[in-house]
Amino acid sequence: MKKFDRFVKTIPMKLYILIAVLLIFAFFSNDFGLVDIQKTAVILAAGVDRTEEGFLLTAQIAVPKGTERSSCGTASIDVEGEGKTVAECVSQIYSKTGWVPKLIFCNLLLFGEETAEQDVIGCMDYFLRNEYMQDNCFVAVSEGSANGMLTTKSATEDTTSLAMEKLFSDAAGKSGKVMKNTLKEFAIGYYGESGSGFMPFIRAKDQDCGSESGGGAGSDASGSGGGSQSSSSAQGEEQKKIYSAEETAIFSNGKMVGMLPPEQTFTFSLLKGNVFSGTFLSEEDGKPVSVTVLKNKGGVKLDTKNKPKITLSVDLKIRLHNRGVPSPIEDVANEKVSDEVQQAAQERIGTFMHELWENCKTSGCDLFQLKRELYRSSPKKYGEWKDTLLTTADVEIKPNVKSIQ
Amino acid sequence: MNKIAPRQLYFLLAAVMPVGKLILMPTQLAYYAKNDLLFPAAANFLLQAGIIFLIMLLSRSNRTFYDMLCYTFGKIAAKIVLSSLALFLFFAALLPLFEQKLMVQSVFYDTLPSIVAFAPFYLFSAYLCAKPLCNFGRAWDIIAPISIVGFFGIMLLSVSNAEFSALAPVGVNGAGGFFGGTAYTMSWFFDSALLLVLIGKFEYKKGMAWKSAVSYLIGAAAVLVFLAVFYGIFSDIAERQFFAFSKISKYFSGMTVLGRIDYLFIYSLALVMAYFCALPVHAGVDCLTQAYGNDGVKPVIFSVAINGILLVLSFVLDYRFGVLNDTITKTLFWIFPAFSVLMPLLALLLRRKPREKV
Repeated sequence: MKKFDRFVKTIPMKLYILIAVLLIFAFFSNDFGLVDIQKTAVILAAGVDRTEEGFLLTAQIAVPKGTERSSCGTASIDVEGEGKTVAECVSQIYSKTGWVPKLIFCNLLLFGEETAEQDVIGCMDYFLRNEYMQDNCFVAVSEGSANGMLTTKSATEDTTSLAMEKLFSDAAGKSGKVMKNTLKEFAIGYYGESGSGFMPFIRAKDQDCGSESGGGAGSDASGSGGGSQSSSSAQGEEQKKIYSAEETAIFSNGKMVGMLPPEQTFTFSLLKGNVFSGTFLSEEDGKPVSVTVLKNKGGVKLDTKNKPKITLSVDLKIRLHNRGVPSPIEDVANEKVSDEVQQAAQERIGTFMHELWENCKTSGCDLFQLKRELYRSSPKKYGEWKDTLLTTADVEIKPNVKSIQ
Repeated sequence: MNKIAPRQLYFLLAAVMPVGKLILMPTQLAYYAKNDLLFPAAANFLLQAGIIFLIMLLSRSNRTFYDMLCYTFGKIAAKIVLSSLALFLFFAALLPLFEQKLMVQSVFYDTLPSIVAFAPFYLFSAYLCAKPLCNFGRAWDIIAPISIVGFFGIMLLSVSNAEFSALAPVGVNGAGGFFGGTAYTMSWFFDSALLLVLIGKFEYKKGMAWKSAVSYLIGAAAVLVFLAVFYGIFSDIAERQFFAFSKISKYFSGMTVLGRIDYLFIYSLALVMAYFCALPVHAGVDCLTQAYGNDGVKPVIFSVAINGILLVLSFVLDYRFGVLNDTITKTLFWIFPAFSVLMPLLALLLRRKPREKV
């Protein structure tokens, strides 16, 4: 009887534990991490183009690769949806395939060139509102249409978007050759006082792969429903591509207003202080010399004391990386850069900085968020100068390139 | 013995109450006050801290709020006041409950989960609210350290990504931003009303009044730091960033290698939030129990009934959170200061001893 009483007394605690466990299961289950691939479209990348009707959304969807042991990598298919809004495109993809589109794994948003020139914010709106979309996914503009770019066949990956994402790795960022951007950062730039931003511009180049089929062997992914899908891993005959993002599209008020060529993209990286181990060309005795950036400090300063004055500064510590001519072994052993190379490098960077500034000025893109800085430092002066800041401000360009040691 | 220790009260004020302000309040503040969001939040916190100090002075008599009402106005009036306070607390519980529900659905799931995913909470809440306060007190002993670890973990991963210059220029949104931000976020500040129910449920010791206010201000300071980091990360798009605490840490650079380790801390805070959400419901049930007597069964009936109603409401209002949020935070926001500022101030005038019989 005593035992029974004790048992009855402990029932509430047992019940409590049971309920707590239930609660924890329900709260923290995250659907127990299960993604039903038969019902879910795991979207790896989305490409948006404007059409006469509205939008064309190309979703690159990961699919199972089958059971062949030799297969590796990620296979995908490209499914298109058209509609007056991006949401309608997504619904069409759903109705075409029967798969619930899942954006949580979407790491790349690609916009067609013409779309970017018209306006990207209208295309982004859906993704900005979607609570299940990762706002740190990369954004980029593609040469031609986003659909055309996503449906090309990569020479290096089974899935095009994964090949493109490799361009935005941390290592690529440190090389200074790419200026990557995310949905969140682009939106902050657009909705802020500057109304400006940038995205890497992706180009595709033909790659001769010889008789190799490239990518994953024997992947023949196929999707169900509609005729608009194309299997990106089943196009063995198609010309394979490699991708580059050395240029940067610049935006003002959501529209692409200009392009930074590779040198200016590199300079933009230097001004942001992003570069470590990136290389660029200088010269000595009229011959090219590659130097490596070992230390990079960059900044854009706005002085608002009297007339607005903008100072672009880049401080670099460099070392000799490569000569294009035979050198004596003493020279090979020496990393120090001669004064001539330093001078030439400084002039070169200075010229790029000047060109970059002129490019931003003529296109009206406040790439360095100067209006935002002005607003934060003095709302009164912001009201006075916001429309003329880029065109009337005095600009000082301060490149400073030094050798290590 | 239905009493809590002073330590448990400090834990509640410093580490449990602040977590309820980390989900949607930052977004609402950013919407009205933009980069000046710290000032309305600070104003509300200071006001609450002041009221908490006064309530603690009131608790020196070691009488419950109901006792004092009885001594002053008699039992019927005391029942009316306590019933209205209970109604207010159930009303105040709606916002944290729905916030928590939406947060769980959005953050812990990749696509919109079934409506029943959140339903077990009401089982948990019904059980917890039927238990005496001392059980809650013991829970605070455990969840307060979890809350502190969760909060510091999230801040550690987030602070490096914050650009604090986004908080400038100070005061640019003027009085409109300040008063709008203060008024329309009052719905998250009913802490003093919760404390009003707790008086007489702990032994007042010397210095508890200022210690409680300081405990509350420590929690407030943590929330203000959180708000600064939040705005520093999202700046001009902050007003779009719902479920703030679950988002600010994901930009940590190490996440690409380590994966979403911040989920450990997010889960910790979510667990604390589950207890926080049950708190106003428990306080409301406690009010009803005090008013209508505790025969051992009534708290269970009240708890099951109220949680049942809240469960039904969560189904009925599932897709109407926008309307509910607007109603609570914009149309009916004035109810909150009425119960969490005015009522405690008026409570200072109550008799703390029974009338002497002539």
